[in-house]
Amino acid sequence: MIEVEEQPWRAMVAHAEKTFPNECCGAMLGRIQGENKRVTEALALENAYAGAQGAMYELRPEDLLAADKAAREKGLDLIGIYHSHPDADAYFSQTDLKNSCPWYSFVVLSVKRGKFDHANSFLPDPDQTKAEKEEFVWPKF
Amino acid sequence: MAKVLIPTALRRFTGEQDSVEVTGGTVAEALGQLTTQFPNLKKNLYTDEGKLRSFVNVYVNDEDIRYLDKDQTELQGNETISIVPSIAGGAAGVAEPPAALSNEEIARYSRHLILPEVGMDGQLKLKQAKIILIGAGGLGAPLGLYLAAAGVGRVGIVDFDVVDASNLQRQVIHGTSDLGRKKIDSAADKMRDINPNIAIDKFETGLTSENALDILKDYDIVIDGTDNFPTRYLVNDACVLLKKPNVYGSIFRFEGQATVFAYEDGPCYRCLYPEPPPPGLVPSCAEGGVLGILPGIIGLIQATEAVKIILGVGETLKNRLLLYDALGMRFRELRLRRDPDCPVCGHHPSVTKLIDYQEFCGVKPMSETKPAGDAITAKELKEKIDRGDNFLLLDVREPHEYQIARIPGSKLIPLGELPKHLNELDKDADIVAQCKSGGRSQRAVDLLKANGFKHVRNMTGGITAWSNDVDPSVPKY
Repeated sequence: MIEVEEQPWRAMVAHAEKTFPNECCGAMLGRIQGENKRVTEALALENAYAGAQGAMYELRPEDLLAADKAAREKGLDLIGIYHSHPDADAYFSQTDLKNSCPWYSFVVLSVKRGKFDHANSFLPDPDQTKAEKEEFVWPKF
Repeated sequence: MAKVLIPTALRRFTGEQDSVEVTGGTVAEALGQLTTQFPNLKKNLYTDEGKLRSFVNVYVNDEDIRYLDKDQTELQGNETISIVPSIAGGAAGVAEPPAALSNEEIARYSRHLILPEVGMDGQLKLKQAKIILIGAGGLGAPLGLYLAAAGVGRVGIVDFDVVDASNLQRQVIHGTSDLGRKKIDSAADKMRDINPNIAIDKFETGLTSENALDILKDYDIVIDGTDNFPTRYLVNDACVLLKKPNVYGSIFRFEGQATVFAYEDGPCYRCLYPEPPPPGLVPSCAEGGVLGILPGIIGLIQATEAVKIILGVGETLKNRLLLYDALGMRFRELRLRRDPDCPVCGHHPSVTKLIDYQEFCGVKPMSETKPAGDAITAKELKEKIDRGDNFLLLDVREPHEYQIARIPGSKLIPLGELPKHLNELDKDADIVAQCKSGGRSQRAVDLLKANGFKHVRNMTGGITAWSNDVDPSVPKY
């Protein structure tokens, strides 16, 4: 189960809406206790994909390394990665799956016509063949 | 000794150590030592064939080893080795998840799956189906709830209205706590609560000739839950042009109708009604009232037809107009036929693109059709009363409406009775006609003028505007 606190959730939604119609991406920091993950901080990262970013994102390894370092310094864990799907649903696409990493939760935010619509979290397997939906709790307002 | 920094996500495999000291002359040896020491790390970093997984990048100090000598990159013993996954993705041009039911869905749809007429194949058809609801009101409410529960994969909703107190008597997808919210938001929340597996597209707009084809084209089935003629003709023509079935329903007072138009070789709405009725002849539910339960019954007949079309089972209402009478509790059927001369779906159609349906139905905003001198606003009426003008305020609503709310000093003559009472009124008198929202009173004005009354005006917005703009203590209904 992954739960996002209000402050990071507002930041993620704002980031996704601001980046619309392009995809945004970022890192989620927080604490892990057994199967329970709690996101306490969201870190916006740059979409480094070289082509049209309307339906693609790419994270720079250096940025991910820096995010991991930032987590270390705060005594937090790098729990997962979030990105947006502009005018598409929050599914885990084949592109998402083939470029995923099983160490993290992948939160997908669906943004329709510039407004946040819904979200899901996924746990991809190490062979990048499937991703399980993860129980996902975010603040409703 | 080189130092390997362990990503936070992998520390559970290293006994929570955030870095591990290793020896080895190359990156391959160093990582080999790491995974020997912590065997559970191995499957996270290597494939079963022993190759580094495609998403694993290794950095020596700040350099990616892909640009050095890969895993044969030599180590002096003072380096920092970082393990960084490469991550990308996106919604890009990719098919949605493969058509299969998860275990959660199998449990959820169990009562469908054990019906031979539905089964696994049918439930997957439902999951892949895309339905669009025009309107999230009386008919849209039961449709949305049950189509979500049934597992229709994608539902679009077109509605620009907000939830009003007068909706709650029948629009069961909205609750008291939703008052003032957008209907599309309230409906989508309820539907996702019932079934989080469905995708919902919200269109906060009215359906127009400009946007209809674009909105409807991505769906398999269109369900008409509207309450006005211009939109009904628009939905019909768009469905014929796009070759999509139009699951039709309508309600009034205690009676309802349902059928399936523009489906296979069946007729369309225009085959049944080539021309709209004169404006104002058929009252809307807001004017005539509707039994709150009625849209539940008609909406669920529409839902049933939509599900049957998706599953390809049973006999649809194509070629049949189903009539329902709640007071007599009777269903009847009328036979429908496709009209070879239909202007839209006939052999030689004259309508080949969407037209101006407001104009077609003779509906134009007041300001365009009526000179300003014909109308008076609620505030102007109040000033007129306060001035003590000598005039007749003629309320043309029904007696039971008059019981709910009235403007002081008004005289009640229901519109239908007005022709019998013309001789009781003074043709030279100053008359203001008023109803609930301005529609019926406009017809009263037209009638009076046609009969030689000289000073007749319509009160725009009716008693609803009076409540909004003059006296909020008058209840709105």
